[in-house]
Amino acid sequence: MTRRDFSERDIHMALDGELPGEERMAYDAWLEANPEMKAKSARYIADRAAMRAALAGVMDDPVPARLRQVVLGEAPAKASAWRSRWWLSAAAAVMLAVGGLGGYVAGVDSIARGGEGDDQLAEQAIAAHVTYAAEKRHAVEVPASDKDHLQTWLSNRVGLKLVAPDLAAEGFQLVGGRLLPAGEQGKAAMLLYEDAKGERISLYVTADSSETSKGTYAAETGGPEAVYWLDKGYACAVVGSLPPERLSDVAKSAYGQLVAGISS
Amino acid sequence: MDDKKAAILSEIPRLRRYARSLLRDRDSADDLVQDCLERALVRLDNWQTGESPRRWLFTIMHHLFIDQMRKVNRRGEAAMLPLEAGEAQAAPADQVETIASREIMDALQAISPDRRAALVMVAIEGFSYAEAANILGVPAGTLMSRIARGREELRGLLDDTSRRRSIRIVEK
Repeated sequence: MTRRDFSERDIHMALDGELPGEERMAYDAWLEANPEMKAKSARYIADRAAMRAALAGVMDDPVPARLRQVVLGEAPAKASAWRSRWWLSAAAAVMLAVGGLGGYVAGVDSIARGGEGDDQLAEQAIAAHVTYAAEKRHAVEVPASDKDHLQTWLSNRVGLKLVAPDLAAEGFQLVGGRLLPAGEQGKAAMLLYEDAKGERISLYVTADSSETSKGTYAAETGGPEAVYWLDKGYACAVVGSLPPERLSDVAKSAYGQLVAGISS
Repeated sequence: MDDKKAAILSEIPRLRRYARSLLRDRDSADDLVQDCLERALVRLDNWQTGESPRRWLFTIMHHLFIDQMRKVNRRGEAAMLPLEAGEAQAAPADQVETIASREIMDALQAISPDRRAALVMVAIEGFSYAEAANILGVPAGTLMSRIARGREELRGLLDDTSRRRSIRIVEK
């Protein structure tokens, strides 16, 4: 029988099946002679059993069709960029640790279009868009050429770490932004974007929110539409007169980047 | 269906379990698996004949996970999630969780991602130290210290939880 000194390290090795077979008897004898180590080993075994039990159900769970479809090549090619937001839950964890912005990630990966509802945020965002997006020379207070200042200023005023999303992939360039009143006494940041044809959209972001909801809203038929999210401590609307599909794509991209920015 | 795809399909339940231990939330975990599968299919040619599909797929998924965790934490914020926050981040009730399950899953989320991955890889997924070190891309010594620290951290968190629970009971 091999003779050597054992240590805590061996508890892990024994547990993980890494202890050479010929050392097993000596290890067991050592464990018997050291009640403290024996208790530790028993505790680790119990914790592992609890972990296994907690996760056992996943193995029996039917595999979601979407996962099978990926492998079989039947997956709809669309929506990959948006769906790949699983890491937002990781970001949420960090935010919770940093300062209580958490919670809004729940349900984030399915943005319901065409939701019902009369909503103050959406109305304010649309009103701001109608007022300012039509302005050619005075649409913004701070132009995109001064982006760093714009972001710092709006972040300080609104009380959120704002990063102006890059929407170049969707064909939009930042024009600039401005500060607006929101709700009773809150403030909102409006970021204005423009595409090559001069079509404008705006992002309206405020920290003044205590509800949780999401949806789309149009103040009048044919007018600009808002895709919005509300959450406790955070709300955002994307407003524009784009085809629904395109507005939705822009909104998804903008929202993902805003959330990532806030958590950075 | 070719053999490679069949082999990948049969690994999905394990990938889902690993993802769930990393991310807790069911939909997020399945999204991670989907990303992993998509990447795997694009790189099907990189999969050498004879290499275990399990090891290959776990490596892909681990890289996806760690890359994103680094991005999320790029400003150096602690990856640790305080237990209170973990409890606040209520998991969706897609199935009834026992208190014990919930506590251990919360605690697992609260330990650092590197330790969590190492511990789960060995204790749940049953990889050997050599295999796990290979998948995670770290030396065996690093893997072992992550496992040891991960277990110790997990134990501490669970002790804290039960202490708080008993305090609550006393207060009532």
